[in-house]
Amino acid sequence: MSHEVLLKINNIDVFHGTFQALWNVSLEVRRGEMLALIGANTSGKTTLMDTISGLLHPAKGSIEFEEKNISRLDPYQIVELGITQIPEGRRIFPDMSVLDNLVIGSYSSRARAKREQNLKKAYEHFPILRERRKQIAKTLSGGEQQMLVIGRGLMADPKLMLIDEMSLGLAPIVIDELFKALGRIKERGITILFVEQNVKRTLQEADRAYILETGRVALSGTAAELRDEDQVKKAYFGIEVCD
Amino acid sequence: MIGFGDMITPIMMGILLGGLYALIALGLSIVFGVMRLINLAHGDLVILGSYMAYALMSHLGLDPIVGLIIGIPVMGVLGFGIQKYLMGRAFGISAEAPLIIAFGISLVIQNANQIAWTPLSRGLTTSYSLMSFHIGQLQFPLSYLLNFIAGIMVMVTLREFLIRTYLGRAITAASQDKRAAQLMGINTNRIYGYAFAIAMISAAVAGVFLGMTFPFTPTSGTSFLTIAFGTVIIGGLGSMLGTFIGGIILGIVQTVGGYFFGAATQMLIVYIIVLFILAIRPQGLFGR
Amino acid sequence: MIASIVILALFPLIGAPHSWLLYVFLFSIYLAMANMWNLLAGYSGLTSLCQPSFLGLAGYTMAIGTWVGIPWWVGLIGGAVVAAIFAFLISIPVFRLRGIYFAIGTLVVPEALRMIFYLWRPVGGQMHGAGAGYMIKGIADVSMADIYWYALTLGMGSIFLVGFILRSKLGLGLAAIRDNERAADSCGVNVFRLKLYTFIIAAFITGLAGAIFYLYQGYIEPSATFNVKWTMTLLLATVIGGMRTEEGPILGTIVVVVLYFLLARYAGYSFLIQGIILIGIMLLSPQGIVGVLRHNRYYRSLTQFINTR
Repeated sequence: MSHEVLLKINNIDVFHGTFQALWNVSLEVRRGEMLALIGANTSGKTTLMDTISGLLHPAKGSIEFEEKNISRLDPYQIVELGITQIPEGRRIFPDMSVLDNLVIGSYSSRARAKREQNLKKAYEHFPILRERRKQIAKTLSGGEQQMLVIGRGLMADPKLMLIDEMSLGLAPIVIDELFKALGRIKERGITILFVEQNVKRTLQEADRAYILETGRVALSGTAAELRDEDQVKKAYFGIEVCD
Repeated sequence: MIGFGDMITPIMMGILLGGLYALIALGLSIVFGVMRLINLAHGDLVILGSYMAYALMSHLGLDPIVGLIIGIPVMGVLGFGIQKYLMGRAFGISAEAPLIIAFGISLVIQNANQIAWTPLSRGLTTSYSLMSFHIGQLQFPLSYLLNFIAGIMVMVTLREFLIRTYLGRAITAASQDKRAAQLMGINTNRIYGYAFAIAMISAAVAGVFLGMTFPFTPTSGTSFLTIAFGTVIIGGLGSMLGTFIGGIILGIVQTVGGYFFGAATQMLIVYIIVLFILAIRPQGLFGR
Repeated sequence: MIASIVILALFPLIGAPHSWLLYVFLFSIYLAMANMWNLLAGYSGLTSLCQPSFLGLAGYTMAIGTWVGIPWWVGLIGGAVVAAIFAFLISIPVFRLRGIYFAIGTLVVPEALRMIFYLWRPVGGQMHGAGAGYMIKGIADVSMADIYWYALTLGMGSIFLVGFILRSKLGLGLAAIRDNERAADSCGVNVFRLKLYTFIIAAFITGLAGAIFYLYQGYIEPSATFNVKWTMTLLLATVIGGMRTEEGPILGTIVVVVLYFLLARYAGYSFLIQGIILIGIMLLSPQGIVGVLRHNRYYRSLTQFINTR
């Protein structure tokens, strides 16, 4: 894992209409790492993800990807550059088949060329998708749908994958499988930024983490450093479901 | 007692008529399915297609179907433009804005047609549009059959397009989940433009066949809008096949209703059925 | 404000020219209807395209009433009541429809009514030609001045009515619904009931305005009555002036009436231009004229002055 900075967020303010969601947020993602974003529901983590993906734009500050300023780009352009978001809520295209869902993931021109290749790799990561490829997406189980959206994200040939609340509502054994898959994805050289609610599990899997609290970065550091921090436990008082 | 045999004529007519209704409604179904926009101007856009064909026919002597070679690209570009510069912006303004703007477009087209062509009713009469064909002892207008065939062809073309091509699938995806589609790298603004352009093209085709079947005036658009809407409501939005079946059903309802209650009440029965379906199952028979 | 009303009311007495009376008459009728439409679409989120049904039903009630011996003024009020009842009845199916479905449902209703009144002749013989219209009987002794005053009262009254509603509990509930219907619902705001009240009130006033209009015109027939042109005019008036504002419909109606008379000679063009203006206003200045004016200091101080009186 290098220290080369892939994505750099510089002091951004982001608004939802007149409501300010992010205050002076700075963050960096290093190539090849598994970075975690931890925060309660109102911390602004989805806003941050949406801003990186271009669904929102910072009112102040900038975002750089591979040293290029992407703050004002449209979502489809950002996907073209190599950043893919797996949004929360398992947003499959419910009435399309598994295969169609995957294929549409390779819509961008860069990804289209490598479609067959990436499809094979997606099936390698998640064999169940190949099994169910003709099934209509909404008939899949929660865990399978999550695999589908991750697979679909992979089809976009990303350099950086943003994963929002992957384990919400899933059984621990399924979550384990998913994290294992993420590990294999990371081994392929894809950088992962993931947002999770389960602090303990997150710090087990991540290399580094940032903690967001009401729109500001409260803490950051390596997983080891944070595991002992009291503030982390405080940030999750009342939110943490198990343990 | 009225035997079933007597009903064959109205039922057949209804089916064939339904093909035309479906043809008119397919464009509306796409736009509604993809953008959740009821294009109030759709009926008038179809009539615009009819008038365009009329212009080509009277000035250049072009058979209306042949005239589509010009009509399709023109309407397609027009559609893309309307979406990009008018409707697309409307969505960001307020919830009612797209509706109001569509309404405005509708009136602009109606009155532009009225000025250009006078309120006199026109028709696209060709050598074959007045012919009839026989099934056994029963006689039907040939134009109805042509409409039906055109309807099936357009429906199948659209269906295949939506399922097989990247662009078609992108349109489908954008209609099911805009945000997820954007995150896939789909330029949803541009996609909406294409969807609207496709809808306009199907409106152009519909206009031609409509013009060959019925006389039309600048204000005919409103009644066809209601029919198109009824078709989409019955069949379910976004589904091409569903819209087609919806058209057939509506056609049969109209002709059979007219058979029992008299020709003058035909449209009224259609309106009542539309309101009825809206009340009990707005998403249609095949809708999501 | 009061002063201007008094001045307008004096018109017939001081022998103002007939055309002036006509302008103000039409202005008042449209104003009442536009205010109601603003209430529906601007403040309650109900983009109702079925206004012609209300004015038509009221007008027909009055007209048919005069044929069976009911005096016109009873028919006038009765007509408005009929319109309100009709609104109540159709609200049951139509309110289940969201947004765009609602618009289409309400678009179909006047069309259906047009067909019905085209075919149905409850009294009297066949009119010559194809029309199914009715003359309104027994109104020869009603002077233009009277009609003028009725309209003026209604028009000005509608301004106060809207103002009153918006400042009442109903208005508060409506504002909540418009902002976020589901949130309002979960806060205990009875969404259906509030929308219904607004719908019925709007139907009643629109019916009254329509009946008064037909009182003036003297006859009524289906295709001009249940016609989308009414809706167009109301839409235009409200949008040009500024939706969701109290002054908007007033300003917008002035513009519309002026346009109407300017372009009366060019029948087709007038609607064409209105359509273009509608699109233009929605895109360029969705808040209408009021939106533009509000940026102006003088206008702001003027409205403050009026409001504190």
